[in-house]
Amino acid sequence: MTDRYDATDATERGSDEGTAREDAMAGAIGAGSPEDVGQNTFAATTESLQHTMGKDRPESGSYAFPAFDDHHPPDKGLIDDCVHCGFCLPTCPTYVLFGEEMDSPRGRIYLMNKGLDEEPMNDEMVRHWDLCLGCMACVTSCPSGVQYDKLIEATRGQIERRYERRADDKAFREMIFKFFPYPNRLRAIAAPMRLYQRFGIGDRLRKAGIMDRLPARMRAMEALLPDLPKEEKILELTEPVGEKRRRVGILTGCVQRVFFSHVNAATVRVLAAEGCEIVAPKQGCCGALSTHAGREEESLDFARKTIDTFEGENLDNVIVNAAGCGSTMKEYGHLLRDDPEYAERAKEFSSKVRDVTEFLHDIGPVAERHPLPVEIAYHDACHLGHAQGIRKQPRHVLKQIPGLGIKEIRESEVCCGSAGIYNMVEPEPAAELGERKAKNVLATGAQIIVTSNPGCTLQLRASMKKMGREMPAAHPMEVLDASIRGEPVEKLFQ
Amino acid sequence: MERSRLITAMEGILGTEGVIHEHEQLRTYECDGLMNYRVIPDLVVLPETGEHVQRIVKLCYDEGIPFVARGSGTGLSGGALPVKSGVLIVLTRMRKILEVDIPNQRIVVEPGVINIWVSQEVADEGYYYAPDPASQIVSSIGGNLAENSGGVHCLKYGFTTNHVMGAEVVLPDGSVTHIGGGLAPDAPGYDLLGAFVGSEGTLGIATKITLRLVRVPESVQTLLAAFEDPEGAGGVVSGIIGEGIIPAAIEMMDRLTIEAVEAAVHPGLPDAGAVLVIELDGPEAEVEEQFGRVLEICEENEATEIRVAEDDAERALFWKARKAAFGAMGRISNDYYVQDGVIPRTELPAVLKRISELSEDYGLRVANVFHAGDGNLHPLVLYNNSTEGEAEKAEKLAGDIVFTCLEHGGSLTGEHGIGEDKKKYMPKMFTDDDMNVMQLLRCAFDPHQLANPGKIFPTPRLCGERPGPFHMHPLQKAGIVEQF
Amino acid sequence: MQTERGITGDLRQIVGSDNIREATTEDAIEGVQPALVVEPGSVEEISGVMKLAAREGLAVSPRGGGTKTHLGDAPRQLDLIVSTTRMNEIMEHTPGDQIFRAEAGVRLEDLQERISESDQMLALDPPESGATLGGIIAANSSGPRRYKYGTVRDLIIGITVVLHDGTVAKAGSKVVKNVAGYDLSKLFTGSLGTLGIIATANFRLHPLPKASRTVAVEVESPQQAQEATQSIVHSQVEATAIELHYAEDEKLLTVLLESIPGGMDAKVETASFLLKQFGEVRTLSEEEEDHLGPLTPPAVADEIVLKLGAPPAELGSVLESVLGAAERRGLAHPRITGHAGTGVTFIGFSGEDEDAAVGFVGEMREIQTRKSGNVTLQRAPLTLKQRVSTWDNGGDYLGLVRRVKEKFDPRGGMNPGRYLGGL
Repeated sequence: MTDRYDATDATERGSDEGTAREDAMAGAIGAGSPEDVGQNTFAATTESLQHTMGKDRPESGSYAFPAFDDHHPPDKGLIDDCVHCGFCLPTCPTYVLFGEEMDSPRGRIYLMNKGLDEEPMNDEMVRHWDLCLGCMACVTSCPSGVQYDKLIEATRGQIERRYERRADDKAFREMIFKFFPYPNRLRAIAAPMRLYQRFGIGDRLRKAGIMDRLPARMRAMEALLPDLPKEEKILELTEPVGEKRRRVGILTGCVQRVFFSHVNAATVRVLAAEGCEIVAPKQGCCGALSTHAGREEESLDFARKTIDTFEGENLDNVIVNAAGCGSTMKEYGHLLRDDPEYAERAKEFSSKVRDVTEFLHDIGPVAERHPLPVEIAYHDACHLGHAQGIRKQPRHVLKQIPGLGIKEIRESEVCCGSAGIYNMVEPEPAAELGERKAKNVLATGAQIIVTSNPGCTLQLRASMKKMGREMPAAHPMEVLDASIRGEPVEKLFQ
Repeated sequence: MERSRLITAMEGILGTEGVIHEHEQLRTYECDGLMNYRVIPDLVVLPETGEHVQRIVKLCYDEGIPFVARGSGTGLSGGALPVKSGVLIVLTRMRKILEVDIPNQRIVVEPGVINIWVSQEVADEGYYYAPDPASQIVSSIGGNLAENSGGVHCLKYGFTTNHVMGAEVVLPDGSVTHIGGGLAPDAPGYDLLGAFVGSEGTLGIATKITLRLVRVPESVQTLLAAFEDPEGAGGVVSGIIGEGIIPAAIEMMDRLTIEAVEAAVHPGLPDAGAVLVIELDGPEAEVEEQFGRVLEICEENEATEIRVAEDDAERALFWKARKAAFGAMGRISNDYYVQDGVIPRTELPAVLKRISELSEDYGLRVANVFHAGDGNLHPLVLYNNSTEGEAEKAEKLAGDIVFTCLEHGGSLTGEHGIGEDKKKYMPKMFTDDDMNVMQLLRCAFDPHQLANPGKIFPTPRLCGERPGPFHMHPLQKAGIVEQF
Repeated sequence: MQTERGITGDLRQIVGSDNIREATTEDAIEGVQPALVVEPGSVEEISGVMKLAAREGLAVSPRGGGTKTHLGDAPRQLDLIVSTTRMNEIMEHTPGDQIFRAEAGVRLEDLQERISESDQMLALDPPESGATLGGIIAANSSGPRRYKYGTVRDLIIGITVVLHDGTVAKAGSKVVKNVAGYDLSKLFTGSLGTLGIIATANFRLHPLPKASRTVAVEVESPQQAQEATQSIVHSQVEATAIELHYAEDEKLLTVLLESIPGGMDAKVETASFLLKQFGEVRTLSEEEEDHLGPLTPPAVADEIVLKLGAPPAELGSVLESVLGAAERRGLAHPRITGHAGTGVTFIGFSGEDEDAAVGFVGEMREIQTRKSGNVTLQRAPLTLKQRVSTWDNGGDYLGLVRRVKEKFDPRGGMNPGRYLGGL
């Protein structure tokens, strides 16, 4: 993992809130300012509070003792790094919502510790691990350097193997993983979805009250459905504009490729303008969703295939424009550590992976930026800010655009609730977090929300729509692309 | 009362979402910030209003069930350690800021409000809440109240007890009372609030707390100075006090701490035997001149390097280095034991010497972080839990350090409290009579000994006759306790 | 008392025959004269005396300088006065630690003189001359400097007390930062001898300010007094005291500023700037400063003094209610002074018409308790005290006060009848 965000450079964030003392306190846990951690805006609803006590959850009664077996259990050494200080609590989204210990990193680590030899794998334990978003805000805030990300990944893997989910829960998750990592299948259901949207079927179902009768998870999925623009294809090889500075590969993603192809197109254009030769081979899923859900075999399979895809292309770097994907790809070395055939190759591969803003920040700009007089709110996707420690770079890159102002969002350390498939499997807390984030975004008064993760974009849009509000959203590459091409600001609002 | 009936009764008050009774869930509450002591509570309840708290406590009182209050669970003396067969009342969901009164420089908050939120709430008005324990980003006001928390700035500004003006308290018999006067000064009667603050949850539960706000000072100046050894740094502290300067804060860190902090937050600290962070605040002209004098004193004591913070960002960096110190220990050691002791400032050199002797004797490293201004030490005993016997050695060493503090005229604890951890040391500082008289206070508030029993005092003492049919207290049955 | 000579003999054994005498009318407290006055010279002697008192069922009243024995209702019973005049040793003064430990009978003036040799002071400035540490703690005495430094509770760090039955107990220590055990020092602050006898106390010290000046502004109305006070309170000037003198012929708000010589001018300038919008601002001469101290023993023999505690930001309405009530009761313009910055106001008025006085106090009590303030009879003739209690009713905490009293003094031998709720 790269260096933690240097929170003391207040000028970076343009924040003058809080005294130096408080900034120091916040800085001690990796936040930019005290305003970035959970504030007391509002408490969770009764329903979701009951949810975490077990009401209305698909619980199966499955039991295995002790909770963990010998195959990659959460590492005792890492668990012992936790000194129970509690500094992670104010940044944990579920603690901020529920206010109880089991739904905090400290509590979850404690359960992991007990699960090694004292407690079973049962509904109660799994419930609280399932409710963890995997946002890794706790990793950023932990003064003792506990690697919670490794712990929860190992735990999820164990859950997948040792916990028998209830039939409907299992079926739902299987369905998600039958579609989301396979762009062709996503595309196949895109057509009927287009019709669904064109004829406003969702709204009619809502008006008829039928929507309310569907299970919460189905409703959540339906609400997240994005608008579907026409697909923009990118070439397998794109030449640089002017002198060639780098040869890079680009991950086109799954949700990104199908629903946000224009972001990929913008990314390629920007890279080309900055002197890159871009290779976009035929490719599959990077395995991020599977990795974060603990589906071990599946995730390793995707990882190997991805490495195979890009390895032979003689690349300086592999560029990723989706935060979740980039964070997993940087982890391939760790994921494939047990595979003699791939271990070294994976390490080598991971060392080349870059988030696009990280990359552009490193190589420096050559293309001219035309003014874009617009106020944006920049949202740190968890897998970019917490998992990869990348916060300065996107801001720097965006600040290169003349006339562009960046507004900081309150409670920026707290996840928006998207968290991979979380907003589909845990719709209640996801909805509350989404609403919270949406309110904070709207409070900035910015004209457009800019973020690096398709999941976050979908979540924010859905949350605002539920509030009856709307705000244009864009990827940093779309903004940069508009600036390089000298396009008017209005283009971004479409 | 049978457990399932108790659960039903509590759910009747709080709804199912407010009662935790499943085994694994209860386990996450079995300790607070001090992991050495663990007790699984019978039940955990999460009230959301003062009325909830009152009804919960009344139920406990009627059924003779002991209870322990808990905030964010960051305490370092085991004050929120649950009591066996008791209820743990967690205040984290009572987190509203109720009233802001800038003209009277007061704010009223619920106990679950996080310390740092208070300052943030009034920052726009140019005010802040002065007590700043290192855990302020997560510790609650209720917890601060129970422990009378300090912080780096208490040399000039005082502790929690100097900033609490009033409280609504649920007494252990379930009745509600208002102590302290709140807005108006000098309310007649005993200073019950003064006795309540720092009573570690043994006298009742505060459900509304009136705090005093302090005006943000006109000017703040901070410096970081490095010295070859703690003697030089100690000389600076004496020099400053001798001049009649009261800095807002003087903090010292020794070599080992500097090493850990560098590894954790990379503030770019100099390589030194001791580092001082000194802050002055107040009216500009005053600060300007006094700061100049402080710089001179540092030089007079052979500071190897002096850095003056040029702006807020740099000031925050100096403080970040200090505030991250405990957590940073995890980078240079597997485990560590935080001790909290106080000595008169003039005894600092002698005590530091003694600590280093003890460290050598025991063969365990000790990192020192302390509030040099008021002699409050935090020696961090570093050890490895997996090495057999090392945990016990570490605890013993920590105990010896506390005895050293007492020998030099200090106290058992400066800010972390007695709780569970230090009650065995109480007889070293207080006689039986001293403790009996303190117990009188406890009996006035809590005759049935239901509020956080077993904390602070080493031997349980009962409070005399109980009205109604005679119930033998379980400890009495076991012959462990005397009638008092 | 039974076998009087027996008791006197026993007491003589404890404190020495020179240190016990029969009481005179001078020793009477609110018209009740005790039988004996003893002067123990050590904590052990105090303990011995109290053991005897408990055995014989004597009602005891501790006394230091006797400057505030009038504070409180008349005692229900009074047999013995325990005087701390011989407990006058300063046990320890460590300038480097900024603390001292002293016996309760040490006079504040003597202490300050001794401490000032190290350029330090105890930041308490009650007006009564001759007050002792024990009495100051027991009565929670304070003066103008409370605005900056707080009151006794913010300065006391340790205490040794002797209870009604001779039990000796200590709390706190000699370090400022200490949370071991309960804070009995605070419990005994303001307890007026009803919980036990304060034998020794430890305090924290502050450096003696090197320079000081008082800036004053003439105000014309209660509202102006409030606004002027608030302007200083909410500024960053860090004043030491803000005092109000509000009489018919003179209405003055004075601000005491203390600093190092290099910072003095800037402070005076800032304060003057803030105040000048309210009226004419001037710096007081040393003579004027002395004259404008807080309300000292009444100028007129039968002047009644009330002490009012109210939220500081309501100074204006407090003054208006005082003036209004006075007028309604046909009283002349009261002589009002106060620690304006902290909400403490003293009202001095003529006691000639006792009925009017009773009505006035009643009205003030009603107004103030509605706003969560308090009214105490600071100084009043016995006849008035028989009609009006020194103390308000006390809020809902009276029950707790009673329970604490019952625990510490179950037989009711410590200053019975003088305190809140008739305790």
